[in-house]
Amino acid sequence: MAEKKKAPAKKTEKKQDMKKEAPVKQEVKKQAPAPAAKAAAPGATTKQEARIGVFICHCGTNIAGSMDIPAVQDYAKTLPNVAYVDNYKYMCSMPGQSVINKAVKEQKLTGVVVAACSPRLHEPTFRTATKEAGLNPFRFEMANIREQNSWVHMHDREGSTAKAKDAIRIAVAKAALLQDLFPKSVPVEKAAMVVGAGVAGMQAALDLASAGIKTYLIESDMSIGGRMSQLDKTFPTLDCSQCILTPKMVDVGRSQNIELMTWSEVDSVEGYIGNFDVTIRKKARGVMTPAQAEAKGIVGGGCNGCGDCENVCPVIKPNEFEVGMKPRKAIYINHPQVVPLIYTIDFKACVKCGLCVTACGPEKRAIDLEAKDEFVKVKVGTAILATGYDIFPIEKKEEWGYKRHENVITSLEFERLICASGPTGGHLVRPSDGETPKRVAFVLCAGSRDNTGVGKPYCSRFCCMYSLKHAHQIIEKIPGCIPYIFYMDIRSFGKAYEEFYYRIQDEGAKFIRGRVANILEDPATKNLHVFADDTLLDRPVDMEVDMVVLAAAIEPKPDTNRTRKLFGVSCSQDGWLLEAHPKLNPCGTTTAGVFLAGVCQGPKDIPDTVAQAEGAASAASIPIHKGEVELEPYFATCIEEKCAGCGMCVNLCPYSALALIEKDGKKVMQVTEAKCKGCGTCGGFCPGGAIWMNHFATPQVVAQIDAFLLGGEQ
Amino acid sequence: MSETGANNKFAFYLGCIAPNRYPGVESASIKAMKKLGVELVPLKGASCCPAPGAFGSIDLNVWYAMAARNLVLAEQMKMDIALVCNGCYKSIWEVNHKLKHNKDLRDGVNEVLKEIDMEYKGSINVYHTAELLYNDKFIGVEKVRDSVTNPLKGARIAVHYGCHLTKPHKDREFEKEVMLNTENPTWMEELVAALGATPVEYRNKMQCCGAGGGVRGYDIVHALDITNEKLYNLEAVKADALTDICPFCQLQFDRGQIEIKEKFGVTHSLPVLHFAELLGLAQGMSPQELGLDLHGISCESFLKKVL
Repeated sequence: MAEKKKAPAKKTEKKQDMKKEAPVKQEVKKQAPAPAAKAAAPGATTKQEARIGVFICHCGTNIAGSMDIPAVQDYAKTLPNVAYVDNYKYMCSMPGQSVINKAVKEQKLTGVVVAACSPRLHEPTFRTATKEAGLNPFRFEMANIREQNSWVHMHDREGSTAKAKDAIRIAVAKAALLQDLFPKSVPVEKAAMVVGAGVAGMQAALDLASAGIKTYLIESDMSIGGRMSQLDKTFPTLDCSQCILTPKMVDVGRSQNIELMTWSEVDSVEGYIGNFDVTIRKKARGVMTPAQAEAKGIVGGGCNGCGDCENVCPVIKPNEFEVGMKPRKAIYINHPQVVPLIYTIDFKACVKCGLCVTACGPEKRAIDLEAKDEFVKVKVGTAILATGYDIFPIEKKEEWGYKRHENVITSLEFERLICASGPTGGHLVRPSDGETPKRVAFVLCAGSRDNTGVGKPYCSRFCCMYSLKHAHQIIEKIPGCIPYIFYMDIRSFGKAYEEFYYRIQDEGAKFIRGRVANILEDPATKNLHVFADDTLLDRPVDMEVDMVVLAAAIEPKPDTNRTRKLFGVSCSQDGWLLEAHPKLNPCGTTTAGVFLAGVCQGPKDIPDTVAQAEGAASAASIPIHKGEVELEPYFATCIEEKCAGCGMCVNLCPYSALALIEKDGKKVMQVTEAKCKGCGTCGGFCPGGAIWMNHFATPQVVAQIDAFLLGGEQ
Repeated sequence: MSETGANNKFAFYLGCIAPNRYPGVESASIKAMKKLGVELVPLKGASCCPAPGAFGSIDLNVWYAMAARNLVLAEQMKMDIALVCNGCYKSIWEVNHKLKHNKDLRDGVNEVLKEIDMEYKGSINVYHTAELLYNDKFIGVEKVRDSVTNPLKGARIAVHYGCHLTKPHKDREFEKEVMLNTENPTWMEELVAALGATPVEYRNKMQCCGAGGGVRGYDIVHALDITNEKLYNLEAVKADALTDICPFCQLQFDRGQIEIKEKFGVTHSLPVLHFAELLGLAQGMSPQELGLDLHGISCESFLKKVL
């Protein structure tokens, strides 16, 4: 117990230091008892003496292996208001929870402190346990002694023991002042939104619609279908990508419950789970659908996709869908299978000559060259983000010469070139001379698994497999053509993927294990020399090939960041949207009611994307089917007798949750509880101390600060 | 930033090869830079940098200590160092960088320096003259262009960047971001164009000259093989001259052509000039002033084109 003596001694020192150096903090101490006494001010229901139970979790050896649990327990017993202390191997287990249950009842506890992991993980568990023991669930406070202690101070037993004592002292100080709180239920709008209509968004929307939920499907491009519609075949089954996707696209277009908005973007989002008010910007398309035409009184008018306008348009631009390898007009559809089949005007390119208007004719009158962006407001209960990915600009890896050497292409360009509906009708040709290549090198991990700071550190997860598929396709389509695959290791992890890998080996693809150092162009022939180190044969390789295909890394779309901020979703360091839990909640986010599907959450292939989309749709439909959601009662409240009605908080509130009203001849602030997120901006600012933040009230927070600074000697 | 404050006066670190084999690089640098408002003050008492491949491969501590001694000499002059050689740049810049950021290393080096009553403080920066010429904080391409009195019109000049100035990429910091491009840089071509010449691209521009890292000393045939390949690539684009920013590369390309003839029986005759020599020519200095007659490969064909 030497340690126990040592720790408080340290604290006393700290206290003296404080007095010497920071007189300001002393004032805090003087003030402390006053608000503490008034802790129960607005609620003011019970004024019984606080009896707190402290429960210390070992988490196996996660916590117990790094600190002296008996010492922490002995210390907790000495804290004011603590009536009972116990410890258990796994507090979150059923026996652990029954320890809490029993103690609350037998010891007549008024509050519970569990010292364990992060509240992100088990706060709901212990709240429920507290509730089941007969207390209000908000009489619970968690001390994080794992993530913020034992895991980071694994080899500092003395330090982590002292820190655990601090954390428990702070939690007890707050627990003693906690009040009963009652969550409010709000109704959930029976509608959902899916942002992005690639295969993930389409699948999620179809599932939601099938479950009877009105679904708004928002797509920024002119057509749904996303990346998958650009692919020729899918691995490992070699299904034609368009053939399996088109029926889904048609279903989306047909579904009664799906309101499809293409050429549209989310402009702003307000509200909370159950009640998101979303404003959608319908970008000026310049071409009306039959419905839009009818609304304008043009009966039987609107675009029918005949393409007469396109034929007369004089402006030629590269077609983005074909990765710039095919021309399009300023009024266009980017491929024949677009859904909806409505033309779109690229107003940046359009010269407004009016030829298309004439070609469209007086019956259809579909074209409006003066069209402006329109804004539409919808209300939804839940939302799914499925914003997809872009190809990393692989020209940044200059050693491979993309955009410098004509016959170096990306895999997406390869997909379009090998696709029967692509710019060459499915004939793979060299961009330099149109010749059919006989030796094609594939560079895997091009910009992925790259720690140079130029590329991406992560694995893009489907490049190995589609490159194997590409190898198969050239063997099949071009007799005598040899694919040379430069790889680090082949990641063929999915169902039937490894078998596919063996199949491609047997078909004659050549595998060279080594990263490509450099690609040089022969100026005379435009052939390419690929330099690498064959790490299996331990010798350098200089291979002359006709064409190089770079399996470029993928990255989040540039506007993903804007969209995620609108919905309050975080992202990880690499820009992919952050799931609520990487293993146990991969579809959810930390914003209630917002879910993720597809590659926007991280690289994944089509099967995984579809599976996640179905998961997200299922998760997003739960609150809608339930009909109501409980909101955490962490909203601000106004102590009206203290409120001077200055209204400064109203302007500060980021959620427009506050308003000034007349009450008994006096101006006071009023909170719309459902809108308030409990951020505390108003409470921290209020000059009269008239705003009470539920669960984070000033006396509670001050007590925590005191408990930390003053070592418990309040 | 250094604590020296002055941006127009630098301690001129010569290195070994420039003063011994290509004295024109020294004179051209001092004179040409003066015209551009930068004074190069000789760094007296300096030793070998020491050569990064030769010393660094054998004993890093010797490499640190010797480079640190050169740095201390400049610290005593309260001037940043300017130098004309990529190898010197690797030694002097990189050791300065490492010592500034690694206290243990610095303490170790200072222990050695104590024996000669020196202490490394980390108060100066190190620049390659090519960097001074390119970075408009010091000079910049515009000023270089303005200083030209004899434009090198009609000359097709290829650039050899050399390795150590920009590589290893992860260990380099340049204020001008384009200088961080190790795979296909073009900033030297901008300087060549500023002299009125036509910069030409060629195959495998960023390949080593063949000499560096001790290869020339250890296995000259291998070194010359690499040089030979680069010379073929340069001839393929009909370059009139090759310019470099490293006397060691210059030695390999210039004397190397004579050695290639001896060893492989292949004749090349490509004039090789340090960028300082090119700049001197463009500013009106005579070939004699620049010591071009001391080159292994005659510069006559090139001079006929530009004079």
